[in-house]
Amino acid sequence: MSYPDRDFIEVLTRHLKYLKAPEDLTLDGELRGLGLDSKDAVDLLLDIEDLYGVVFPDDLLNDRTFATAGSLWQAIESTRGPGAGQ
Amino acid sequence: MIAATALAEAGRDPFGAAREAAAIARAAAAATDRDGAFPQAGMDALRRTGLLGLIVPVELGGYGATYATAIEIAQILSGACLSTSMLWSMHCQQVAILVDHGPSPLREALLRRVAAGDLLIASVTSEPTKGGHLLSAMAALERTDDGFAIDREAPVVTAGMQADGLLITMRRSPEATPSEIVLVYADRDELQRTEAGGWHTMGMRGTSSVPMHLAGRVPADRLVDPEGGFRRLAVTTMIPAGHLMWTACWLGAAKEAYRQLMHVLRTPELRRGYPLKSDLYAERIARVRLDIDLVEALLLAVAADYERLRATHGTRHEPFEDYAFNIRLNELKVAAAERLFAAVDAIVQLAGLRFGYRVQDETTIERIFRDLRSASLMFANDRLLVTNGKFALVDASL
Repeated sequence: MSYPDRDFIEVLTRHLKYLKAPEDLTLDGELRGLGLDSKDAVDLLLDIEDLYGVVFPDDLLNDRTFATAGSLWQAIESTRGPGAGQ
Repeated sequence: MIAATALAEAGRDPFGAAREAAAIARAAAAATDRDGAFPQAGMDALRRTGLLGLIVPVELGGYGATYATAIEIAQILSGACLSTSMLWSMHCQQVAILVDHGPSPLREALLRRVAAGDLLIASVTSEPTKGGHLLSAMAALERTDDGFAIDREAPVVTAGMQADGLLITMRRSPEATPSEIVLVYADRDELQRTEAGGWHTMGMRGTSSVPMHLAGRVPADRLVDPEGGFRRLAVTTMIPAGHLMWTACWLGAAKEAYRQLMHVLRTPELRRGYPLKSDLYAERIARVRLDIDLVEALLLAVAADYERLRATHGTRHEPFEDYAFNIRLNELKVAAAERLFAAVDAIVQLAGLRFGYRVQDETTIERIFRDLRSASLMFANDRLLVTNGKFALVDASL
C-alpha cells in the first residue's frame, strides 16, 4: 500500500470535526472517534469519489471501509486499481 | 420444442426466466411507449419462458408459483416495461380465476395451453352503462341450441385484439338482474372482435386497452360459474389477485425510477450540480424511499393475509367478505397508487430537467411518471375509498 496523498489527507481532515491538528491523524486511528459518523461518511465518500473520479463498489460501502484513514485509503487504492495515480 | 428444452435447462427458475424476459421487454420499451404499440417482443418472451403459466399448477405444466413469488416476478418485469408487466399481470389474474374456479375439464385444458405459452387471456368486464363496476353486468348471455351467444360492447379491453382467449362477464340471461353475472370463456376464433377505437394515452401506452364489440357463440361448457357465483369468484380471487399484482407492478416501476435516480447520483460524471450535501435534498430522497418502503411493507403484509386466508379457507366465500380484509385490500391499492406516484413525482423533481423530465438514455423516469399516473384511475381510487369509508362505519375490528 502506498502512503496516502496530500489531497486525501486534506479532504479527510475536513470531515473530522474533533481532529485538533492534522498531525494527530494516524493511519490506524478510529475515524469515528474523530467525529466521523456514518452520515458524515457519505459526504466524505462523495468528496473522495469526486476527487479521484472513481465510484466505490457496493461491497466497499460499509463501516469497515470508513473505520480508519488506512482502511479508507486501501479502499480507494483497490477501487482505482493497481498503479493508478503513480 | 425449443421452449420446452429451455425450460428444462433453466430448472424451472421463474426469476431467471423473468430476468430474461425483462431484458427483452426493456430493449423494446422506448419504442413501445413512443409508438403506442403492443409490446410483442416482451410478450413473446413471456410465452417462450413459460411465465404466462407462472401460477399454473406444476401438474399442468406451470411453475406453480405462490403469490409471494408472483409479486417479485411482477416487480422484475415492471422495472423493464410497465406496459408488458401490466398485460402479464392482468393475464395472471385471469389464470388465477381458472386455477381457483375453473370447471373440469375446461380448467385443465386451458391451463395446459397457458403453461405452454399458447394462451394469453384478456379480461372483459367493462360495459358502456356501468363503467368499471365489477359486480354488475348489462349485456345478457343468450341460450342457443348447443351453447351460448355473446353480443356485447366493452369500452376498455386490455390486449383484447392480441389475446388468444377472453374471459367475459355477462348477465346470466335476458331475464336476470344486472347482479346475476356469469363469467364466460371464449377462444379468439369463436368471436368476431371489432376494434371500436384506439388507445392514445399519456402512459401505459403499450397495453392496447381498446374499446371493442364482441359477438360470437361458444359451447355450453364454457361457463366459469362456481357455487356462490361470480361474487365468490371476485372476492376470493379476482379482486385480491388484481390488487396484489397491480400493486407489485407499480412498486417495481417506482423502484426502477428510484434506482435510476441513485445511478445518476452515484455516478461522478452525472451528478455534478446536484446538491448532494444539502439536508433538504437528503430529506427529499429519504421521503421517496419511505413511500416505496411503506408500500412494499403493506403489499407483503396483505399478500400474507391473503395466503393465510386461502390456506385456512380455500376459496370458501364468507371469510373473504370480511370488512377488515377488504378495507386493507382496498387500502393497498389506493396507497400504492397515491404514494408510488408521489414518489416518482418527487424523483422527477430530484433528477431535474436533465434526467427526470427529459427523454434521454440514462433514465426512463419521465416514462415511469406517465405510466404511474394511471394507477389511481385503474379500478379507481375514488370508488375504493367510498367503499372503505362505508365499511369503516360497520367494521369494529380496528
